[in-house]
Amino acid sequence: MDPLILALIIILIIVVLVFILVFVGYHNKIIRMENRIDNSWAQIDVQLRRRSELIPNLMETVKGYMKHEKEVLENVTKARSALMSAKTPQENINADNMLTGALKSLFAVAENYPDLKANQNFLNLQDELTNTENKIAYSRQHFNDSVLAFNNTIETFPGMWFAKRMGRKTRDMLQIPDAAREVPKVKF
Amino acid sequence: MIMEKKLLVEDHIKRNKRSTVIVCTMMAALFAAVVLAFGYIFFGNIIIASIFAIPIGIGYVLVTYSISVGSVLAAAKARPANPRIREEKLLIYRVEEMAIAAGIPKPKVYVQDSEYINAFATGKNPDEGVICVTTGALKKLNQEELEGVIAHEMSHIKNYDIRIATVTIGVVGAISLLAEILFWSMLWGGGRSRGRGEGNAILIVLAILLVILAPIFARLTYLAISRRREYLADSTGAYLSRNPEGLAKALEKIKQDHPKSKPKGSKTVAPLYISNPFRRVDVSSVWSTHPPIDERIKKLRSM
Repeated sequence: MDPLILALIIILIIVVLVFILVFVGYHNKIIRMENRIDNSWAQIDVQLRRRSELIPNLMETVKGYMKHEKEVLENVTKARSALMSAKTPQENINADNMLTGALKSLFAVAENYPDLKANQNFLNLQDELTNTENKIAYSRQHFNDSVLAFNNTIETFPGMWFAKRMGRKTRDMLQIPDAAREVPKVKF
Repeated sequence: MIMEKKLLVEDHIKRNKRSTVIVCTMMAALFAAVVLAFGYIFFGNIIIASIFAIPIGIGYVLVTYSISVGSVLAAAKARPANPRIREEKLLIYRVEEMAIAAGIPKPKVYVQDSEYINAFATGKNPDEGVICVTTGALKKLNQEELEGVIAHEMSHIKNYDIRIATVTIGVVGAISLLAEILFWSMLWGGGRSRGRGEGNAILIVLAILLVILAPIFARLTYLAISRRREYLADSTGAYLSRNPEGLAKALEKIKQDHPKSKPKGSKTVAPLYISNPFRRVDVSSVWSTHPPIDERIKKLRSM
Protein backbone atom coordinates (compact mmCIF):
# COMPACT_ATOMS: atom_id res chain seq x y z
CA MET A 1 0.00 0.00 0.00
CA ASP A 2 1.14 3.53 -0.68
CA PRO A 3 2.90 4.72 2.55
CA LEU A 4 1.17 8.11 2.28
CA ILE A 5 -2.26 6.49 2.40
CA LEU A 6 -1.15 4.33 5.31
CA ALA A 7 0.02 7.41 7.18
CA LEU A 8 -3.27 9.18 6.51
CA ILE A 9 -5.25 6.20 7.76
CA ILE A 10 -3.19 6.06 10.96
CA ILE A 11 -3.70 9.79 11.52
CA LEU A 12 -7.41 9.38 10.96
CA ILE A 13 -7.58 6.55 13.48
CA ILE A 14 -5.71 8.64 16.04
CA VAL A 15 -8.03 11.61 15.50
CA VAL A 16 -11.09 9.41 15.93
CA LEU A 17 -9.62 7.93 19.13
CA VAL A 18 -8.96 11.40 20.52
CA PHE A 19 -12.52 12.44 19.74
CA ILE A 20 -13.90 9.39 21.50
CA LEU A 21 -11.75 10.07 24.54
CA VAL A 22 -12.85 13.70 24.75
CA PHE A 23 -16.47 12.68 24.25
CA VAL A 24 -16.37 10.08 26.98
CA GLY A 25 -14.39 12.40 29.20
CA TYR A 26 -16.87 15.25 29.09
CA HIS A 27 -19.88 12.99 29.39
CA ASN A 28 -18.46 11.41 32.51
CA LYS A 29 -17.33 14.73 33.91
CA ILE A 30 -20.84 16.16 33.66
CA ILE A 31 -22.35 13.09 35.32
CA ARG A 32 -19.79 13.19 38.12
CA MET A 33 -20.43 16.87 38.76
CA GLU A 34 -24.16 16.27 38.95
CA ASN A 35 -23.68 13.47 41.43
CA ARG A 36 -21.52 15.75 43.50
CA ILE A 37 -24.34 18.29 43.62
CA ASP A 38 -26.90 15.68 44.66
CA ASN A 39 -24.54 14.31 47.26
CA SER A 40 -23.87 17.71 48.81
CA TRP A 41 -27.61 18.41 48.89
CA ALA A 42 -28.19 15.21 50.82
CA GLN A 43 -25.39 16.17 53.20
CA ILE A 44 -27.17 19.43 54.08
CA ASP A 45 -30.23 17.43 55.08
CA VAL A 46 -28.20 15.06 57.25
CA GLN A 47 -26.74 17.99 59.20
CA LEU A 48 -30.07 19.75 59.60
CA ARG A 49 -31.54 16.58 61.00
CA ARG A 50 -28.64 16.17 63.40
CA ARG A 51 -29.15 19.68 64.73
CA SER A 52 -32.83 18.99 65.20
CA GLU A 53 -32.03 15.89 67.24
CA LEU A 54 -29.65 17.73 69.56
CA ILE A 55 -32.10 20.43 70.56
CA PRO A 56 -34.43 18.51 72.95
CA ASN A 57 -31.36 17.38 74.89
CA LEU A 58 -30.10 20.96 75.02
CA MET A 59 -33.44 22.26 76.29
CA GLU A 60 -33.51 19.64 79.06
CA THR A 61 -30.02 20.59 80.19
CA VAL A 62 -30.52 24.37 80.34
CA LYS A 63 -34.11 24.32 81.62
CA GLY A 64 -33.11 24.00 85.26
CA TYR A 65 -30.47 26.73 85.13
CA MET A 66 -32.16 29.30 82.89
CA LYS A 67 -35.57 29.27 84.55
CA HIS A 68 -36.04 33.01 84.11
CA GLU A 69 -35.07 33.19 80.49
CA LYS A 70 -38.48 32.14 79.22
CA GLU A 71 -38.37 34.19 76.04
CA VAL A 72 -35.00 32.91 74.87
CA LEU A 73 -36.01 29.29 75.50
CA GLU A 74 -39.40 29.69 73.84
CA ASN A 75 -37.82 31.20 70.75
CA VAL A 76 -35.79 28.06 70.25
CA THR A 77 -38.82 25.79 70.68
CA LYS A 78 -40.95 27.95 68.39
CA ALA A 79 -38.27 28.04 65.69
CA ARG A 80 -37.86 24.30 65.86
CA SER A 81 -41.55 23.61 65.34
CA ALA A 82 -41.68 26.18 62.55
CA LEU A 83 -38.87 24.29 60.85
CA MET A 84 -40.59 20.95 61.22
CA SER A 85 -43.83 22.28 59.76
CA ALA A 86 -42.25 24.29 56.93
CA LYS A 87 -43.66 23.36 53.54
CA THR A 88 -42.10 25.54 50.89
CA PRO A 89 -38.32 25.95 50.42
CA GLN A 90 -38.64 29.61 51.39
CA GLU A 91 -40.48 28.76 54.62
CA ASN A 92 -37.76 26.26 55.27
CA ILE A 93 -34.99 28.81 54.88
CA ASN A 94 -36.78 31.37 57.04
CA ALA A 95 -37.43 28.88 59.83
CA ASP A 96 -33.86 27.64 59.64
CA ASN A 97 -32.60 31.18 59.90
CA MET A 98 -34.82 31.77 62.92
CA LEU A 99 -33.54 28.65 64.65
CA THR A 100 -29.91 29.57 64.07
CA GLY A 101 -30.58 33.01 65.53
CA ALA A 102 -32.47 31.62 68.50
CA LEU A 103 -29.64 29.21 69.33
CA LYS A 104 -27.11 32.00 69.04
CA SER A 105 -29.10 34.06 71.57
CA LEU A 106 -29.41 31.11 73.90
CA PHE A 107 -25.67 30.55 73.98
CA ALA A 108 -25.01 34.25 74.39
CA VAL A 109 -27.35 34.41 77.39
CA ALA A 110 -25.84 31.23 78.83
CA GLU A 111 -22.62 33.21 79.32
CA ASN A 112 -24.30 34.78 82.38
CA TYR A 113 -24.79 31.45 84.10
CA PRO A 114 -21.44 30.16 85.39
CA ASP A 115 -23.09 27.09 86.90
CA LEU A 116 -24.48 26.16 83.53
CA LYS A 117 -21.14 26.77 81.84
CA ALA A 118 -19.51 24.40 84.29
CA ASN A 119 -21.99 21.65 83.43
CA GLN A 120 -20.14 19.06 81.36
CA ASN A 121 -23.26 18.02 79.52
CA PHE A 122 -23.91 21.61 78.48
CA LEU A 123 -20.35 22.03 77.27
CA ASN A 124 -20.53 18.88 75.20
CA LEU A 125 -23.83 19.95 73.66
CA GLN A 126 -22.46 23.40 72.91
CA ASP A 127 -19.46 21.87 71.13
CA GLU A 128 -21.71 19.50 69.20
CA LEU A 129 -24.14 22.20 68.16
CA THR A 130 -21.32 24.46 67.01
CA ASN A 131 -20.00 21.50 65.07
CA THR A 132 -23.41 20.89 63.47
CA GLU A 133 -23.98 24.56 62.61
CA ASN A 134 -20.55 24.72 60.97
CA LYS A 135 -21.32 21.56 59.04
CA ILE A 136 -24.63 23.01 57.86
CA ALA A 137 -22.85 26.13 56.65
CA TYR A 138 -20.04 24.21 54.95
CA SER A 139 -22.36 21.73 53.29
CA ARG A 140 -24.33 24.64 51.86
CA GLN A 141 -21.07 26.19 50.73
CA HIS A 142 -20.02 22.94 49.11
CA PHE A 143 -23.39 22.66 47.42
CA ASN A 144 -22.95 26.12 45.92
CA ASP A 145 -19.35 25.35 44.92
CA SER A 146 -20.51 22.17 43.17
CA VAL A 147 -23.29 24.04 41.36
CA LEU A 148 -20.85 26.75 40.28
CA ALA A 149 -18.38 24.21 38.90
CA PHE A 150 -21.19 22.39 37.10
CA ASN A 151 -22.65 25.58 35.62
CA ASN A 152 -19.19 26.69 34.47
CA THR A 153 -18.64 23.37 32.72
CA ILE A 154 -21.95 23.31 30.89
CA GLU A 155 -21.97 26.97 29.95
CA THR A 156 -18.51 27.05 28.39
CA PHE A 157 -17.16 25.48 25.24
CA PRO A 158 -17.16 22.50 24.64
CA GLY A 159 -19.14 21.41 27.67
CA MET A 160 -22.18 23.25 26.40
CA TRP A 161 -22.52 20.90 23.40
CA PHE A 162 -22.58 17.86 25.64
CA ALA A 163 -24.96 19.48 28.06
CA LYS A 164 -27.43 20.20 25.29
CA ARG A 165 -27.27 16.68 23.95
CA MET A 166 -27.65 15.26 27.45
CA GLY A 167 -30.49 17.64 28.21
CA ARG A 168 -28.75 19.21 31.20
CA LYS A 169 -29.55 22.72 32.34
CA THR A 170 -27.83 25.06 34.76
CA ARG A 171 -28.78 24.69 38.39
CA ASP A 172 -29.62 27.31 40.97
CA MET A 173 -27.44 28.04 43.92
CA LEU A 174 -28.78 28.39 47.44
CA GLN A 175 -29.41 31.93 48.51
CA ILE A 176 -28.27 31.98 52.08
CA PRO A 177 -29.69 34.83 54.13
CA ASP A 178 -26.97 36.99 55.64
CA ALA A 179 -27.83 36.39 59.28
CA ALA A 180 -27.27 32.66 58.99
CA ARG A 181 -23.76 33.20 57.67
CA GLU A 182 -22.47 34.68 60.90
CA VAL A 183 -22.88 31.63 63.06
CA PRO A 184 -20.26 29.32 61.61
CA LYS A 185 -17.20 31.34 62.59
CA VAL A 186 -17.99 30.92 66.26
CA LYS A 187 -14.85 31.86 68.16
CA PHE A 188 -13.92 30.50 71.52
CA MET B 1 5.06 52.27 44.23
CA ILE B 2 3.36 49.61 42.17
CA MET B 3 0.01 48.53 43.54
CA GLU B 4 -0.34 44.76 43.78
CA LYS B 5 -3.36 43.70 41.79
CA LYS B 6 -5.91 42.13 44.11
CA LEU B 7 -6.34 38.65 42.74
CA LEU B 8 -9.33 36.49 43.38
CA VAL B 9 -8.61 33.29 45.20
CA GLU B 10 -9.78 31.45 42.11
CA ASP B 11 -7.13 33.21 40.02
CA HIS B 12 -4.43 32.16 42.46
CA ILE B 13 -5.60 28.58 42.20
CA LYS B 14 -5.53 28.70 38.38
CA ARG B 15 -2.05 30.22 38.31
CA ASN B 16 -0.64 27.66 40.69
CA LYS B 17 -2.10 24.78 38.72
CA ARG B 18 -0.65 26.14 35.47
CA SER B 19 2.81 26.49 37.00
CA THR B 20 2.65 22.89 38.20
CA VAL B 21 1.94 21.68 34.67
CA ILE B 22 4.88 23.67 33.30
CA VAL B 23 7.30 22.38 35.91
CA CYS B 24 6.11 18.77 35.59
CA THR B 25 6.60 18.97 31.83
CA MET B 26 10.15 20.14 32.42
CA MET B 27 10.69 17.16 34.69
CA ALA B 28 9.36 14.77 32.06
CA ALA B 29 11.58 16.36 29.41
CA LEU B 30 14.56 16.02 31.70
CA PHE B 31 13.80 12.36 32.25
CA ALA B 32 13.49 11.80 28.51
CA ALA B 33 16.81 13.58 27.90
CA VAL B 34 18.59 11.41 30.46
CA VAL B 35 17.15 8.24 28.91
CA LEU B 36 18.37 9.37 25.48
CA ALA B 37 21.82 10.20 26.81
CA PHE B 38 21.90 6.85 28.52
CA GLY B 39 21.00 5.16 25.27
CA TYR B 40 23.45 7.05 23.22
CA ILE B 41 26.42 6.44 25.49
CA PHE B 42 25.63 2.92 26.45
CA PHE B 43 24.23 1.38 23.35
CA GLY B 44 24.64 3.85 20.53
CA ASN B 45 20.99 3.07 19.88
CA ILE B 46 18.09 4.92 21.45
CA ILE B 47 15.50 2.18 21.09
CA ILE B 48 17.55 -0.40 22.96
CA ALA B 49 18.35 2.25 25.57
CA SER B 50 14.66 2.92 26.18
CA ILE B 51 13.94 -0.76 26.56
CA PHE B 52 16.45 -0.85 29.39
CA ALA B 53 16.11 2.57 30.93
CA ILE B 54 12.37 3.04 31.01
CA PRO B 55 11.51 -0.08 33.01
CA ILE B 56 14.14 0.93 35.58
CA GLY B 57 12.56 4.38 35.77
CA ILE B 58 8.98 3.15 35.94
CA GLY B 59 9.83 0.40 38.39
CA TYR B 60 11.52 2.88 40.70
CA VAL B 61 8.54 5.19 40.54
CA LEU B 62 6.05 2.38 41.24
CA VAL B 63 8.02 1.24 44.26
CA THR B 64 8.12 4.71 45.70
CA TYR B 65 4.46 5.24 44.73
CA SER B 66 3.28 2.70 47.23
CA ILE B 67 3.54 5.09 50.13
CA SER B 68 3.44 3.59 53.49
CA VAL B 69 1.22 5.92 55.47
CA GLY B 70 2.08 3.84 58.49
CA SER B 71 5.77 4.61 58.20
CA VAL B 72 5.17 8.35 57.84
CA LEU B 73 3.06 8.33 61.00
CA ALA B 74 5.52 6.13 62.85
CA ALA B 75 8.43 8.36 61.87
CA ALA B 76 6.54 11.34 63.23
CA LYS B 77 5.58 9.39 66.37
CA ALA B 78 1.98 10.40 65.79
CA ARG B 79 -0.96 9.00 67.74
CA PRO B 80 -4.67 9.07 66.88
CA ALA B 81 -6.47 12.13 68.25
CA ASN B 82 -8.19 11.41 71.56
CA PRO B 83 -11.79 12.68 71.60
CA ARG B 84 -11.77 12.63 75.38
CA ILE B 85 -9.31 15.51 75.45
CA ARG B 86 -11.32 18.60 74.59
CA GLU B 87 -8.70 20.25 72.37
CA GLU B 88 -8.33 17.08 70.35
CA LYS B 89 -12.08 16.57 70.17
CA LEU B 90 -12.42 20.07 68.78
CA LEU B 91 -9.63 19.30 66.30
CA ILE B 92 -11.60 16.28 65.09
CA TYR B 93 -14.72 18.43 64.72
CA ARG B 94 -12.84 21.08 62.71
CA VAL B 95 -11.37 18.41 60.42
CA GLU B 96 -14.84 16.92 59.83
CA GLU B 97 -16.24 20.34 58.96
CA MET B 98 -13.45 21.19 56.54
CA ALA B 99 -13.80 17.79 54.86
CA ILE B 100 -17.41 18.68 54.07
CA ALA B 101 -16.31 22.00 52.61
CA ALA B 102 -13.70 20.19 50.52
CA GLY B 103 -16.11 17.47 49.43
CA ILE B 104 -13.78 14.63 50.41
CA PRO B 105 -14.30 11.82 52.92
CA LYS B 106 -13.25 12.67 56.45
CA PRO B 107 -9.51 12.08 56.89
CA LYS B 108 -8.17 10.26 59.94
CA VAL B 109 -6.94 12.66 62.59
CA TYR B 110 -3.61 12.20 64.34
CA VAL B 111 -1.72 14.24 66.89
CA GLN B 112 2.04 14.70 67.27
CA ASP B 113 3.38 15.59 70.69
CA SER B 114 5.53 18.62 70.04
CA GLU B 115 5.65 22.09 71.53
CA TYR B 116 6.07 23.67 68.09
CA ILE B 117 3.23 24.65 65.77
CA ASN B 118 3.08 22.35 62.76
CA ALA B 119 0.82 20.05 60.80
CA PHE B 120 1.10 17.61 57.94
CA ALA B 121 -1.10 15.57 55.66
CA THR B 122 -0.52 12.20 54.07
CA GLY B 123 -2.41 9.44 52.27
CA LYS B 124 -2.39 7.90 48.79
CA ASN B 125 -5.61 9.54 47.65
CA PRO B 126 -8.42 11.71 49.01
CA ASP B 127 -10.39 8.65 50.12
CA GLU B 128 -7.66 7.62 52.53
CA GLY B 129 -6.46 10.93 53.87
CA VAL B 130 -4.64 11.50 57.15
CA ILE B 131 -4.10 14.83 58.89
CA CYS B 132 -1.74 15.28 61.81
CA VAL B 133 -1.44 18.37 63.99
CA THR B 134 1.06 19.03 66.79
CA THR B 135 -0.08 19.52 70.39
CA GLY B 136 1.83 22.81 70.26
CA ALA B 137 -0.43 23.99 67.44
CA LEU B 138 -3.53 23.02 69.43
CA LYS B 139 -2.31 25.08 72.36
CA LYS B 140 -0.96 28.12 70.55
CA LEU B 141 -3.47 28.66 67.73
CA ASN B 142 -7.02 29.91 68.12
CA GLN B 143 -9.88 28.23 66.27
CA GLU B 144 -9.72 30.61 63.30
CA GLU B 145 -6.00 29.98 62.79
CA LEU B 146 -6.37 26.24 63.36
CA GLU B 147 -9.12 26.21 60.74
CA GLY B 148 -6.74 27.89 58.29
CA VAL B 149 -4.05 25.28 58.92
CA ILE B 150 -6.55 22.43 58.57
CA ALA B 151 -7.88 23.94 55.32
CA HIS B 152 -4.30 24.06 53.97
CA GLU B 153 -3.63 20.43 54.84
CA MET B 154 -7.03 19.34 53.52
CA SER B 155 -6.13 21.04 50.24
CA HIS B 156 -2.96 18.96 49.96
CA ILE B 157 -5.09 15.83 50.22
CA LYS B 158 -7.76 17.12 47.85
CA ASN B 159 -5.20 18.19 45.25
CA TYR B 160 -3.40 14.84 45.32
CA ASP B 161 -0.21 16.60 46.40
CA ILE B 162 1.04 13.62 48.35
CA ARG B 163 0.83 11.46 45.25
CA ILE B 164 2.47 14.15 43.11
CA ALA B 165 5.30 14.52 45.62
CA THR B 166 5.90 10.78 45.81
CA VAL B 167 5.91 10.26 42.04
CA THR B 168 8.14 13.29 41.49
CA ILE B 169 10.62 12.14 44.13
CA GLY B 170 10.53 8.75 42.39
CA VAL B 171 11.38 10.34 39.06
CA VAL B 172 14.21 12.32 40.67
CA GLY B 173 15.51 9.08 42.12
CA ALA B 174 15.21 7.31 38.79
CA ILE B 175 17.10 10.09 37.01
CA SER B 176 19.83 9.97 39.63
CA LEU B 177 19.98 6.19 39.45
CA LEU B 178 20.31 6.17 35.68
CA ALA B 179 22.96 8.86 35.85
CA GLU B 180 24.94 6.86 38.37
CA ILE B 181 24.73 3.62 36.39
CA LEU B 182 25.95 5.54 33.39
CA PHE B 183 28.79 7.20 35.24
CA TRP B 184 30.16 3.95 36.63
CA SER B 185 29.83 2.13 33.33
CA MET B 186 31.65 4.98 31.58
CA LEU B 187 34.42 4.63 34.11
CA TRP B 188 34.75 0.91 33.67
CA GLY B 189 34.31 0.30 30.02
CA GLY B 190 33.16 3.20 27.96
CA GLY B 191 30.40 3.35 25.40
CA ARG B 192 30.12 1.07 22.42
CA SER B 193 29.81 4.00 20.11
CA ARG B 194 33.39 5.07 20.65
CA GLY B 195 35.63 5.16 17.72
CA ARG B 196 33.14 6.63 15.30
CA GLY B 197 34.78 9.98 14.86
CA GLU B 198 35.22 13.38 16.42
CA GLY B 199 31.64 14.58 16.10
CA ASN B 200 30.68 11.71 18.33
CA ALA B 201 33.26 12.67 20.95
CA ILE B 202 31.57 16.04 21.40
CA LEU B 203 28.19 14.36 21.72
CA ILE B 204 29.61 11.98 24.30
CA VAL B 205 30.99 14.87 26.35
CA LEU B 206 27.60 16.59 26.20
CA ALA B 207 25.90 13.40 27.23
CA ILE B 208 28.27 13.01 30.18
CA LEU B 209 27.60 16.59 31.26
CA LEU B 210 23.89 15.99 31.02
CA VAL B 211 24.18 12.87 33.10
CA ILE B 212 26.13 14.68 35.82
CA LEU B 213 23.91 17.75 35.89
CA ALA B 214 20.59 16.01 35.41
CA PRO B 215 20.18 14.79 39.00
CA ILE B 216 20.85 18.32 40.23
CA PHE B 217 18.32 19.82 37.86
CA ALA B 218 15.87 17.10 38.73
CA ARG B 219 16.12 17.95 42.40
CA LEU B 220 15.74 21.68 41.69
CA THR B 221 12.67 20.97 39.55
CA TYR B 222 11.18 18.83 42.29
CA LEU B 223 11.68 21.63 44.80
CA ALA B 224 10.07 24.12 42.40
CA ILE B 225 7.06 21.81 42.11
CA SER B 226 6.95 21.48 45.89
CA ARG B 227 6.89 25.25 46.40
CA ARG B 228 4.22 25.68 43.75
CA ARG B 229 2.01 23.06 45.43
CA GLU B 230 2.43 24.88 48.73
CA TYR B 231 1.08 28.07 47.20
CA LEU B 232 -1.76 26.06 45.68
CA ALA B 233 -2.59 24.55 49.06
CA ASP B 234 -2.60 28.06 50.55
CA SER B 235 -4.99 29.39 47.90
CA THR B 236 -7.27 26.33 47.88
CA GLY B 237 -7.35 26.42 51.68
CA ALA B 238 -8.29 30.10 51.61
CA TYR B 239 -11.10 29.25 49.17
CA LEU B 240 -12.45 26.41 51.32
CA SER B 241 -12.44 28.37 54.56
CA ARG B 242 -13.46 31.62 52.78
CA ASN B 243 -10.97 33.16 55.19
CA PRO B 244 -7.34 33.68 54.02
CA GLU B 245 -6.65 35.70 57.16
CA GLY B 246 -6.91 32.61 59.36
CA LEU B 247 -3.95 30.90 57.73
CA ALA B 248 -2.07 34.22 57.44
CA LYS B 249 -2.32 34.68 61.21
CA ALA B 250 -1.26 31.11 61.83
CA LEU B 251 1.80 31.56 59.59
CA GLU B 252 2.76 34.65 61.55
CA LYS B 253 2.66 32.66 64.75
CA ILE B 254 4.72 29.92 63.10
CA LYS B 255 7.28 32.53 62.08
CA GLN B 256 7.84 33.42 65.71
CA ASP B 257 7.96 29.82 66.69
CA HIS B 258 11.39 28.57 65.51
CA PRO B 259 12.41 25.14 66.71
CA LYS B 260 15.59 25.42 68.69
CA SER B 261 16.81 21.95 67.97
CA LYS B 262 16.47 19.86 64.82
CA PRO B 263 13.70 17.32 65.13
CA LYS B 264 14.45 13.69 64.41
CA GLY B 265 12.94 11.91 61.48
CA SER B 266 13.47 11.45 57.80
CA LYS B 267 13.78 14.62 55.77
CA THR B 268 11.67 13.26 52.95
CA VAL B 269 8.52 13.97 54.91
CA ALA B 270 9.48 17.64 55.14
CA PRO B 271 7.40 18.77 52.15
CA LEU B 272 4.25 17.46 53.75
CA TYR B 273 4.55 19.77 56.74
CA ILE B 274 2.99 23.21 56.64
CA SER B 275 6.36 24.65 57.48
CA ASN B 276 9.56 22.69 56.99
CA PRO B 277 10.61 21.61 60.47
CA PHE B 278 14.17 20.99 59.39
CA ARG B 279 14.95 24.46 58.14
CA ARG B 280 14.68 28.08 59.14
CA VAL B 281 11.45 29.65 57.94
CA ASP B 282 12.81 33.08 57.11
CA VAL B 283 15.42 31.80 54.68
CA SER B 284 14.15 30.44 51.40
CA SER B 285 15.98 29.67 48.20
CA VAL B 286 15.78 27.35 45.20
CA TRP B 287 16.73 24.61 47.61
CA SER B 288 13.64 25.08 49.80
CA THR B 289 10.60 22.84 49.77
CA HIS B 290 8.43 25.70 50.98
CA PRO B 291 8.16 29.26 49.69
CA PRO B 292 9.33 32.06 51.99
CA ILE B 293 6.84 32.53 54.79
CA ASP B 294 6.52 36.31 54.26
CA GLU B 295 5.62 35.75 50.59
CA ARG B 296 2.93 33.30 51.61
CA ILE B 297 1.47 35.74 54.13
CA LYS B 298 1.56 38.54 51.57
CA LYS B 299 -0.25 36.48 48.94
CA LEU B 300 -2.91 35.35 51.41
CA ARG B 301 -3.54 38.92 52.46
CA SER B 302 -3.88 40.01 48.84
CA MET B 303 -6.79 37.64 48.22
